[in-house]
Amino acid sequence: MNNLIKFCFALFVLCVSATASAQVNIEINTPGVVALKQSMQTRHTQLAEFYASGAVGLTSDGMVALRDANAVPLAARQKVNGLVAAENQDRKALYAEIAHANAHPEWEGDIRNTFAQRWIQRAQAGWWVQSGGGWSKK
Amino acid sequence: MLNKTIIYTIIRLLNFCLSGLLSFCLLFLSAPLYAVQITLNVADVAAPSFTARGIKVVLAQEGSAEFNIDELHLAGQTWRKVHVHCSEFLLSSTRVTCDKGKLDAIPDLPFTFSYEFASQRLELRFAAKANELWQVSADFRAQPWRATILLRNAQSKRLADLLSPDWPLPTQGALNGTLMVHGDKTGVSQINADLQLADVAAADASGLHAAEKLTGTLHVDAARTGQKWDWRGALDWQGGELFWQPLYLRGGHTLLASGQWDGAQLKVTQAVANLPGVGKVELNALWDVKKSNLLEGRLVGKNLTLAKGFTDYAKPFLEKSALSATELTGLADVDWQYLNGATQALLVKLRDVAIVDGEKRFALHGINADIPWHAQVQSVAHVAFADGELMGLPLGATQWQMQMRGQDFILPTATLPILDGKLEVSDFRMHSVNDMWQWNFSSTLTSISMQKLSAALHWPEMHGSLSGSIPKVSYQDKLLKVDGTLLFRVFDGTVLANHLELLDPFGRAPRLSGNLDMRELDLDLLTRTFSFGNIQGRIDLGVNNLELVSWLPVRFDAKLASSPGKYRKRISQKAVENISSLGGAGGVAALQRSFLRIFETFGYERIGLSCALRNDICTMAGVEDNGNAYTIVKGGGIPAITVIGYNRKVGWSELITRLKRVSQDNKAVIK
Repeated sequence: MNNLIKFCFALFVLCVSATASAQVNIEINTPGVVALKQSMQTRHTQLAEFYASGAVGLTSDGMVALRDANAVPLAARQKVNGLVAAENQDRKALYAEIAHANAHPEWEGDIRNTFAQRWIQRAQAGWWVQSGGGWSKK
Repeated sequence: MLNKTIIYTIIRLLNFCLSGLLSFCLLFLSAPLYAVQITLNVADVAAPSFTARGIKVVLAQEGSAEFNIDELHLAGQTWRKVHVHCSEFLLSSTRVTCDKGKLDAIPDLPFTFSYEFASQRLELRFAAKANELWQVSADFRAQPWRATILLRNAQSKRLADLLSPDWPLPTQGALNGTLMVHGDKTGVSQINADLQLADVAAADASGLHAAEKLTGTLHVDAARTGQKWDWRGALDWQGGELFWQPLYLRGGHTLLASGQWDGAQLKVTQAVANLPGVGKVELNALWDVKKSNLLEGRLVGKNLTLAKGFTDYAKPFLEKSALSATELTGLADVDWQYLNGATQALLVKLRDVAIVDGEKRFALHGINADIPWHAQVQSVAHVAFADGELMGLPLGATQWQMQMRGQDFILPTATLPILDGKLEVSDFRMHSVNDMWQWNFSSTLTSISMQKLSAALHWPEMHGSLSGSIPKVSYQDKLLKVDGTLLFRVFDGTVLANHLELLDPFGRAPRLSGNLDMRELDLDLLTRTFSFGNIQGRIDLGVNNLELVSWLPVRFDAKLASSPGKYRKRISQKAVENISSLGGAGGVAALQRSFLRIFETFGYERIGLSCALRNDICTMAGVEDNGNAYTIVKGGGIPAITVIGYNRKVGWSELITRLKRVSQDNKAVIK
């Protein structure tokens, strides 16, 4: 009986460790992640006003999109286009880098989905977020 | 009591045959006569490009009239429940007039209307506050018949309901000018328009196509022969701004154009556009209007100023490419030819052009080039530049001849001067597969002075040279791959770099992997270069599985060991202190407390240290391992010194910090 309990416990430990080893560390820090996060933080100060005005929203696939160009002065629309394109490039690179750092490049899609939910959860009140194909104001 | 009379009639109005059932309902209210009114119900009225259904006209005794139309089709537009009120309505055998009229849809724009049956003259005049006027005068008896539309401070937003909602709709601003239309029985045959725009704004629903404060003039003359129109136009866009995703342009443009229109295709036979700050371009085009498709096109520009031309017209399309932060200066001649859904030729001449990357990754100056590219025909491009820079390395003057055929570019041989050496490139080939560009070449790097290289890259000054033979460099799917070995001759030894791969070289986080094999580096030269305290001897250093992300190491297996062979082996007290301080400040203190401090240098037998870097942790080992301790410097000779490390797991960032002389914990001791 005692041996059976030990066996079951060993099996449990094995299962837990197997599960743990398959978990992705999305907080992982590599020079690539640091460079990308810095780049995104710098850009965020420029993008924040466009999130607040509703011009730019957070998409359900972990990216940002120009949602309502009419909310941006005409002369700034090209700049917003550039910011959105650069932000999406960094976001895509970030998901790939985290997957790579976890030694599982094939996890990129799952990491992207996790980040998508996280960005939307952390979005400030008044920002526009996408869910089910439609936009809603948080 | 109600009396009803029904009259069947055909009426002629505006020279169009209008037919319908007109029911005059004469409502004679039984009691007072002053309340008499006439109601006319007309089932429908039809004419070419005009129908009205469910018309009800109520004529009141005091002379006013109410018109209610259930559905009105005019010029492709449909209005429902149209209501018109005429304060003074007159219908006689010679004319019909409506004074002080009002349309429910535009209550702030009262109108007057008159039509004389005999002369077939029509006058329609909408006038409002601020001197706004929309006036139509038409003479339908003239041959050809003619109509003149006069606009004065006409608010452009009133046109929004008449235009397709898919297009930018005017929201403010005024129109002035005249529009003259002539026609015959087959329809409109001539149009002459002279319009001035004042502070016009327009936008589509998405905001991706919009304009603000547009001012300018538009002149159009068009005449029809059979089914074909010949037209000529002049546009002078004087001010305001336009955003047409992804282009943003300001006023100052002019366009003169002429061509034909046959109802399906718009042909621009000749057009000259003046682009401010860029130059003049001539263009012609054939546009399939129904399919919104360019069938043929040609654009020719000479001496175009690239600085503004590239920024305004090319860069907005390159936001997602490596050229998104690029600036161009200089002059260019361009001849672009388009046919059958594809570019057939692009002939470009560049004069004294400079291309500079905003992120300082590359730059080329003094570019002169003749690039006559054809989709189907083989041609040769001549490209020369005066100097440049690549990843901080200066490039010298050179010229290339490139063979081109479609999306295949071949450079049989080319020389790229780098510092005092050069990269001899052979068999460079670039081609597009499934819209993805890939390229490869083989090359030889002739000797570059390490002194110049280290100065250019802001490294400590090194001596020696860099050279190498590279059988193949290839780029495909964002991966730059170097097959072969790069040879550096530095510190009187050799460094071989192989299996080099660089993923996403132009991205934010490029990833470099490869192996380095360094042999017999002179420690005397090395330690002097890096001010580490003098060590004499030679070392081998192997770095396998090296991986850099954003040019910082994230993984490697490095092993440093004294080179085999006989040579002088001495280590200075300063060097011992520095090695010890990598483990913490205590080691230094231990040495300084001991009698060994009286010696300047010590003998050693071997030096060895390895580091396996994973997840920012360096797992250390030495020449000899004894449990948790490992020997970094094994003593030998007199006086001898041995340095032992005790901490096998060292944070990489921390180690780098310590290397920068920030000493902390004491983990190494001196025996």
